[in-house]
Amino acid sequence: MARCSAQENSLKEILPENTLRTRVAQTQVSREVRPAPGRYRNEIAKYIIRRNDDCIRCGKCVELCPRGVHVDKPGYKYFAEPKLDRCIGPACEKTDHYCVAQCPQSALRMVENPMMKVLGDCRWPADMILATWKMAETGDVPAEEFGLEHECGATGGGFDRLRFKFPDKPPVKLSPDEIDTSIELNKRDDGRPRITIDVPWYGGGMSFGSVSNVTQLSKARAAVAWNTFTCTGEGGYMERMRPFDDHVITQVATGLFGVREETIQRVPIVEFKYAQGAKPGLGGHLLGDKNTIAVSRMREAVLGISLFSPFPFHSVYSIEDHMKHLDWIKHLNPRALLSTKVSTPTDVDMVAVGSYAAGTHIVHIDGGYGGTGAAPDIAKKNIAMPIEYAIGRVHRFLEAEGARDKVTLIASGGIRVAQDMAKAIALGADGVVVGTSELVALGCVRCSRCESGRGCPRGIATTDAVLATKMDIEWGTQRLINLYNAWYKELVEILMRFGMRSVKELRGRTDLLMHLDYSNDVKAKS
Amino acid sequence: MNRTLIDRVLTSRGRLAERVGHLRDIRKDAEEGGCGVVGFCCSEAVAGRHIYEPSKQMHNRGNGKGGGIAAVGFVPKQLGVSRDVLDNYYMLHIAFLDPGVRSALERKYIEPYFEVASSCELDKVDDWQSVAGLEVCPPDVCRYFVRAKEPVLDAFIKENQLDGLDRSAAEDEFINQNSFKLNQEYYASLGEQQAFVLSHGRNIMILKVVGYAEAIVKYYKIEDLCAHVWIAHQRYPTKGRVWHPGGAHPFAGIDMALVHNGDFANYHSVSEHLKQRNIYPQFLTDTEVSALLFDLLNRTYEYPLEYIIEALAPTTELDFDRLDPDKQKAYRAIQATHIHGSPDGPWFFIIARNIARENKYQLLGITDTAMLRPQVFAFCDGEVQVGLIGSEKQAIDATLQSLSEDDPRVCPVADRYWNARGGSYTDGGSFIFDLKKDAEGKIRIGCTDKFGAAVPLPTASQACDFTAEVDASELDAQVITIDRLFDSKGAVGVFEYVVDHIRQWTYEDIRAICRTISRLGAEKRHTSVAIDALTLLNDRKYSTGSKKRSHIVHLQLTELYRLFRGLPRLGADAATENHYRLVDFDNRDALCEPPEEEAVLVIDASGFPPEGDDCDAAVLKRAFMKGWRRFIVFACRGQRYVGCGLGPDTDDVTIDVYGSSGDYLASGIDGLTITVHGNAQDQLGQIIKRGKLVIHGDVGQTFMYGAKGADVYVLGNAAGRPLINSVGRPKVVINGTSLDFLAESFMAGDPLTGGGFVILNGVRCNDDGKVIPLEEPYPGSNLFSLASGGAIYVRDPEKRLVDQQLNGGAYVALTSRDWDLILPYLEENERLFGITVSDLLTVDSRERHPAEVYRKVVPLASVVAQNLAGTDDTAWADEHLELAAD
Repeated sequence: MARCSAQENSLKEILPENTLRTRVAQTQVSREVRPAPGRYRNEIAKYIIRRNDDCIRCGKCVELCPRGVHVDKPGYKYFAEPKLDRCIGPACEKTDHYCVAQCPQSALRMVENPMMKVLGDCRWPADMILATWKMAETGDVPAEEFGLEHECGATGGGFDRLRFKFPDKPPVKLSPDEIDTSIELNKRDDGRPRITIDVPWYGGGMSFGSVSNVTQLSKARAAVAWNTFTCTGEGGYMERMRPFDDHVITQVATGLFGVREETIQRVPIVEFKYAQGAKPGLGGHLLGDKNTIAVSRMREAVLGISLFSPFPFHSVYSIEDHMKHLDWIKHLNPRALLSTKVSTPTDVDMVAVGSYAAGTHIVHIDGGYGGTGAAPDIAKKNIAMPIEYAIGRVHRFLEAEGARDKVTLIASGGIRVAQDMAKAIALGADGVVVGTSELVALGCVRCSRCESGRGCPRGIATTDAVLATKMDIEWGTQRLINLYNAWYKELVEILMRFGMRSVKELRGRTDLLMHLDYSNDVKAKS
Repeated sequence: MNRTLIDRVLTSRGRLAERVGHLRDIRKDAEEGGCGVVGFCCSEAVAGRHIYEPSKQMHNRGNGKGGGIAAVGFVPKQLGVSRDVLDNYYMLHIAFLDPGVRSALERKYIEPYFEVASSCELDKVDDWQSVAGLEVCPPDVCRYFVRAKEPVLDAFIKENQLDGLDRSAAEDEFINQNSFKLNQEYYASLGEQQAFVLSHGRNIMILKVVGYAEAIVKYYKIEDLCAHVWIAHQRYPTKGRVWHPGGAHPFAGIDMALVHNGDFANYHSVSEHLKQRNIYPQFLTDTEVSALLFDLLNRTYEYPLEYIIEALAPTTELDFDRLDPDKQKAYRAIQATHIHGSPDGPWFFIIARNIARENKYQLLGITDTAMLRPQVFAFCDGEVQVGLIGSEKQAIDATLQSLSEDDPRVCPVADRYWNARGGSYTDGGSFIFDLKKDAEGKIRIGCTDKFGAAVPLPTASQACDFTAEVDASELDAQVITIDRLFDSKGAVGVFEYVVDHIRQWTYEDIRAICRTISRLGAEKRHTSVAIDALTLLNDRKYSTGSKKRSHIVHLQLTELYRLFRGLPRLGADAATENHYRLVDFDNRDALCEPPEEEAVLVIDASGFPPEGDDCDAAVLKRAFMKGWRRFIVFACRGQRYVGCGLGPDTDDVTIDVYGSSGDYLASGIDGLTITVHGNAQDQLGQIIKRGKLVIHGDVGQTFMYGAKGADVYVLGNAAGRPLINSVGRPKVVINGTSLDFLAESFMAGDPLTGGGFVILNGVRCNDDGKVIPLEEPYPGSNLFSLASGGAIYVRDPEKRLVDQQLNGGAYVALTSRDWDLILPYLEENERLFGITVSDLLTVDSRERHPAEVYRKVVPLASVVAQNLAGTDDTAWADEHLELAAD
């Protein structure tokens, strides 16, 4: 409380007493990385070591393995299930502790986990999921010997065809603590707070209803730890989010579920969601099964009914309506920054500059690669301009209009890994919004069943009381803190290789990127 | 025009386009959103300065990157020509962005073809930067009164085989094609634009600038130029750092000017439709395309206006089914031909025309079928008639105010305000003001809808002389009566006294009474009673005999404002005993804590900007934070967000609003009571949570979108899309009806267990203040679509509602539980508006059982939901969503 007393005083001047009365002490969360192993006993691993009956329990494998894959618990008749997620697989063959080769009984055999063939998809290959889990567990990029490809997916397009052209050696030698990864969210000189976040990303909007309260709270706590933001989505503002108010973006979306004057007044950033890149022109859907008592209460809607957010804002059919809409929120909350989230139609550049002219602080363009299972496939894969085109287009158009340095450009929709983020920034964004990666860090397997039944079998995107409590808030928080840490390290590494002191220097540096389809650089292609 | 001729005209345009090398691909240059549009017509020619105020009112609907005005029906003398020249010659207005090209242009496009009766360069201000609201130097404009030379026209007719065509129609076409060529050479084909035709009709002028529309009036010094019809447009283009006035509205057709608010989704389809008819846009905005489309339907196909409107805004759904079979046949043919050229998406057109053939001027407004843009029509009858169309009521009020200051025969309050229902069988979504000479040669205005039906107006015709002064002796006589009533019977007593006598009184008597009330109100003990009495006279509907209600409303509002403005100003007199304090823009910084708990802050809104840190709503919010709880906001001119931002639990706050209240009023309120004494605008009560909202009039578009609760009472109609996506427990009484899409996706629980509902009475008060049913309680095609909760109680004794209007709803019988639920709201409705429960239950002069009068509409989905209810996670929700009490 003491830390923000000055801030509390200034709030008194701009917010009504009754709103401030609902304000509670803001929680602090440490950024420290702590191990956060998977919450299932046997984490899905890339390789499986099978042990046959020839094993005599000599214990050699346990002795050999420096990673502790093999577990022989005293007092048990058999070996325990090995900790396969620690195994580096065939990379071990060259070492002097390869258990399969050295087993005196030849009782061990290594195979690739057949699950790798079904886990994930082209956008999120199994390797990338496993790597993200590792990051969430350790706070670090997985060691190279694990052989987990985590810089690119396998789509054959989008960010997966873009590569950085790193210099052979950095032009300037910098140490990690000299690198600044922060970005400013308010570039308008309009007297509103100049909010800076420590890393160039914040959490995407997922409503209570689409995800569980545990997921929302974990995201919020990680945002506090890393001095960035999370977003409520449009399913209402959970009371339990209040200790994190200062790091929350609340959404004003077309359904206006749970949006109240008070919730708008609580937060430093309000996001207008006009469309989602994953399903532009389709509005939002929460199918009836996920509309439980808790959800319907938050949204003040009817239990068990599918809830639709209309595809347009019925109050906004034009740019001057948009301005009026922004002015309204500015009036309600004189300290709020406004973000306008739009999808990427062919005239996204015009939409962006129009939003800027109407007074938004953040233009948030959401491309079509993102989206959870709740977004229909037909939409996810077929509508909207690919985000990598949209970023460059909007960036250059804003520059041409002389507005680029007065507005923050945020990109989202398929930013899966730190490399994607860096590429988006090099294309011209100031920062990014992450969504699915956070869910993967919490244990998502990309089964794409977010919308059906009570939702997520892993208890992330669910509203089922039993499923949701499968996850613990402390654990969820730590997983995300760790993920952020790994991303941070990777970003710092990229900046160091370019000899850049700040992530702001990377913005718009398309000259540092190449597209594999248009490149003869064999090294890069390999 | 027969088919061959139409083909020949279209072919001639095709040859022309080929000859000038027009680029045939369809492009769109500027992305535009909505804009501000206003138009008015007057039976007298009125000066250009009257378009100034309404244009200024619409500033926040444009961004200063494009403005334009048009005028129709001039006074010959002012233009220095004869009546004959004004009526018969085309007024060619050409904008020269580069004045150097003028002589070359004239040599090429004017001298060879035209007989020029008169020409001049429009006067202008020397230093354009001295005119506020201009972004770049406006073009020089030249006006030429021209007719095609006989041999030239003969050759044109011969070349294009237009012998069968009426000679004047051929001349129109010649003018049109000449302008096309000129624009192509000097504007469309160039990187650097040099000149373009602003307008080319008879007795019509269009002017455009890069800036705000009202700057035109100042820059071209047309403050005193008189015309019968004026329209103005504030543009909001979003692309480009450099703008040209060519892209600004209005756009011209022959004898017409069109402004547009909106943005169609199918620009390319409409352009393609035109391209197939050899018509090519040159300015690359959807408004130009709209003007071209109208011109095509009007001049080439020679459709009657009704069919033109049908081609633009087709009649669909239930509305189509309700048309006469003959009409259906005609409309079906029109739709089959023109549906691809029908603009889709949000649009609203205002068009000014000179119909030379019929010797009349015309002003019309057309709204799109889905009614996605706001629109208001108004009419002031009397010796001087005024017809008005605007995107918002505030622009209409500003026009009337401006006109009345010049001519006291014009009352600042219109006789009627109404909305159009787009693509409907009732009014066709369009209203037309025709200005025609009567037998005595005086111009009179008639107003009809798309189908030619006259718009009903109040029958009272006796006008008030607003210039007359109040007779002081009259006052003394009244003071004793009123003073006694104040003490004995309060505001209601005074109100009843006035209503009992008003039919016999003259306007002078009424004014004297109002002045007396206002004067007595200056005394502390009388202030609140006086305010209440004048407010009742404003709000309630009662018989005024042969006197015009609008004029009486104006009289009493004037006195009410006089009373307000006489109250002690904030800060000036700390010693005053009165607990009312007046704040206006000039002394807004004197805001302090209230002198006593019951103190009322009276905000004179007239000087405040419509939004931003200095707007009246922001001052109100600051005052609230300093402890004020009671507010009166008066003389509003469209200021937005009144009542917003005060936060939760504001049950002790009341706000009374007078004047042209603005958009988003009461949005998000949580506990407070807000009363609008008159019509309200758009987007009221967004996400409204709790509290009470009373509107003594109509309310505009998307009323209570995403509402969560509150008790709401509307005396009149709610325009399109009220209560979309409402949840929780809003309880709403609408005494009139709604245009369409009422309570779409309504999700407000079960009304019988605390959920929300709408009572739709479908009635109005006639000129005598009697409650009468509307023709239909709900004319729209969509009622309660996709709703999953709540209910609508409709007063529908004749069972006019049909299943086709529902999409996921069902009619069920009204039970006694329902009646017990809604009765208290109807009783409150009675208290507020004087519409009694007994009035509502009376059908054919007999009071009926409620179940015979009201029908209940419920969502089918809610029936399903009850069977679906899953595991009860209430306890879990309590534990996991609420903040732990620590």
